Amino acid sequence: MMTSEEGWTQFLGTVGRWGLALAALAALLLLSAVPLDISGFAGVRPFFALMAVYYWSILSTAPPPGVFAFGLVLDLLSGYPPGMTALLLVAAQAVTARNRKFLLGQPFLVIWAGFAVEALAAGAVQWLLFSLLALARMPLLPVLIAAALSALLFPLSVLPLAAVYRALSDRPEPP
Amino acid sequence: MAGKEDFWGIPVSLQRPQKPAIKSVPLKTVTVRATPAVLILLSLTLMVLHRAGTLPVERLRTAVMDVTAPVLAAVSAPVEGLVDNISGVASLQDLKAENARLRAENARLQKWYEAALEMKAENESFRQLLNVKADPAMSFVTARVVSDAGGTFVKSVLLPVGARDHVQRDSAVLSGQGLVGRVVEVGADASRVLLITDLNSDIPVIVQGTRIKAILAGKNGDLMKLERLPPDSGMTVGTQVATSGDGGQLPAGLPVGTIVSVSAQGVWVKPLADLDRLVYVQVVNAALNPALATGDIAPQDGQ
Repeated sequence: MMTSEEGWTQFLGTVGRWGLALAALAALLLLSAVPLDISGFAGVRPFFALMAVYYWSILSTAPPPGVFAFGLVLDLLSGYPPGMTALLLVAAQAVTARNRKFLLGQPFLVIWAGFAVEALAAGAVQWLLFSLLALARMPLLPVLIAAALSALLFPLSVLPLAAVYRALSDRPEPP
Repeated sequence: MAGKEDFWGIPVSLQRPQKPAIKSVPLKTVTVRATPAVLILLSLTLMVLHRAGTLPVERLRTAVMDVTAPVLAAVSAPVEGLVDNISGVASLQDLKAENARLRAENARLQKWYEAALEMKAENESFRQLLNVKADPAMSFVTARVVSDAGGTFVKSVLLPVGARDHVQRDSAVLSGQGLVGRVVEVGADASRVLLITDLNSDIPVIVQGTRIKAILAGKNGDLMKLERLPPDSGMTVGTQVATSGDGGQLPAGLPVGTIVSVSAQGVWVKPLADLDRLVYVQVVNAALNPALATGDIAPQDGQ
C-alpha cells in the first residue's frame, strides 16, 4: 500500500508534468504568434506547431483530439478559417503515427528528411485550401519559404522538444 | 507420423494459414483509427461553414483573443526588448551622429510646430467666418501589436485593446506613416485588425491631386491594387492615395500609400506604413455618420 508521502510525491509529479505539458504548449503558441520585429518574418513564419506534432508523434502517440483542439485555438488566434491548422496538424499526426515504427529505428537524418517532406506537404495543402476558399490563386512563394525555413529550423527545435518529452515520460533516451 | 494433409495431399503445415473470413477488431481500435478521419472531416466542415458565413465563430474568436492577448502582451514586450538590445549594441557607435541629427531635426520641427499652431488658429477663424460644419473630432487609442500570427495567408494583427477601451468595429488603425488597416473583430480586451494588404481588404480611396475615387484592394502581397478606376484615368507613379471616406467606415483624408507601378496589369500602390514591422498603432474612434454607413460605395467607373 502506498504511504501518504508516496502519494504526495506522485501527485506533485503528475501536477508538474501537466504543468510542463501546458507550458510547452503555451510556448509553442507564443512562438507561433508573437511578433519578432524581423522584417518580412510574419509572412514566412515557420510551422513551429507542426515540428512539435511531428516529433512527439514519433516518440509516442499524441491524442488526436488534443492536437485538433490546439490547432483550432491557433486558427482562432491567427484569424485563419477555423479548422485550417487543426486539419493540417491532425493529418500530420496521423501520417507520422502510421510511419512511426519505421521512423523510430532511423538515424536523425531520415527523421529530418521526413519532417521536410511533411512541412512541404503541409504548406502545399494550406496553399490549396486557402486558394479554394478565396477562389483566387494565392502567392505560392511565401509558403514555400515558410516550409523551407521550418525544415531548416527543425534540428534546433528538436533539443527542447526532446527535453520536454524526457521530463514528461520516465522513459529512456529518445532517438 | 506424417503431418495432416488436405484433399490434394499437400501437408497442411506447409500451407499459408487461412485467415478467418471475418476478422474481429475491437471497438476501441476502430474508434482510434477513425478519429483522425473524423477530425479532418470536422475541420473541413468548419471551414466550409465559416466560408458560407453560417458559423457564428466571432464570439469564440474574441473569447480566445481576450484570453491570449494579455499573455502575448506580457511576452511580446521582452522579446521586442531583446531584439532592440541586440540591434542597439550594433548601433552604439552611430549614437553620437544620430543625436546630432535629431537635435537639428528637433529645431527644424519646432519651427514647423509654431507654424502649424498659427495655421490652426487661422483655419479655425476662417471656418467660423464661413460657417463650415467641421468633421467630427477624432479620438485615438494607442496600442502595441501583440501578435501577427496570420502569416502567409491572413494579413492581420492582434491588439490588446477592446470594447473596454472604446474600440469599435470598423475603426481605422494608423501607424506613424499612414493607414494600417481596420478593426474587424472586437473582444472585451482585445481586437483584431485586418491589414490593408489582406485579400479581404477593400478600401474606398481618392487619388490625391485629382478627384478620382477608386477601391484599393489588398492582394495578400506587399502591394495593393487600385480597382474600379475610370478608363484613361492617367495615373502617375509617385502619386499618393488617401481614404475617401465613402461608405462611412473610415474617416476621409487618411494617407494610405503611394502609386509605384502603372501598367497593363493595373495600378499598384505601396503602403506608407511598414506593415511587416508594426510595433505601436493608433485606433481611431471617429464618431462616424451612421447615415453614410448605409449608403452605397459608388465607384467612379461610370457603371
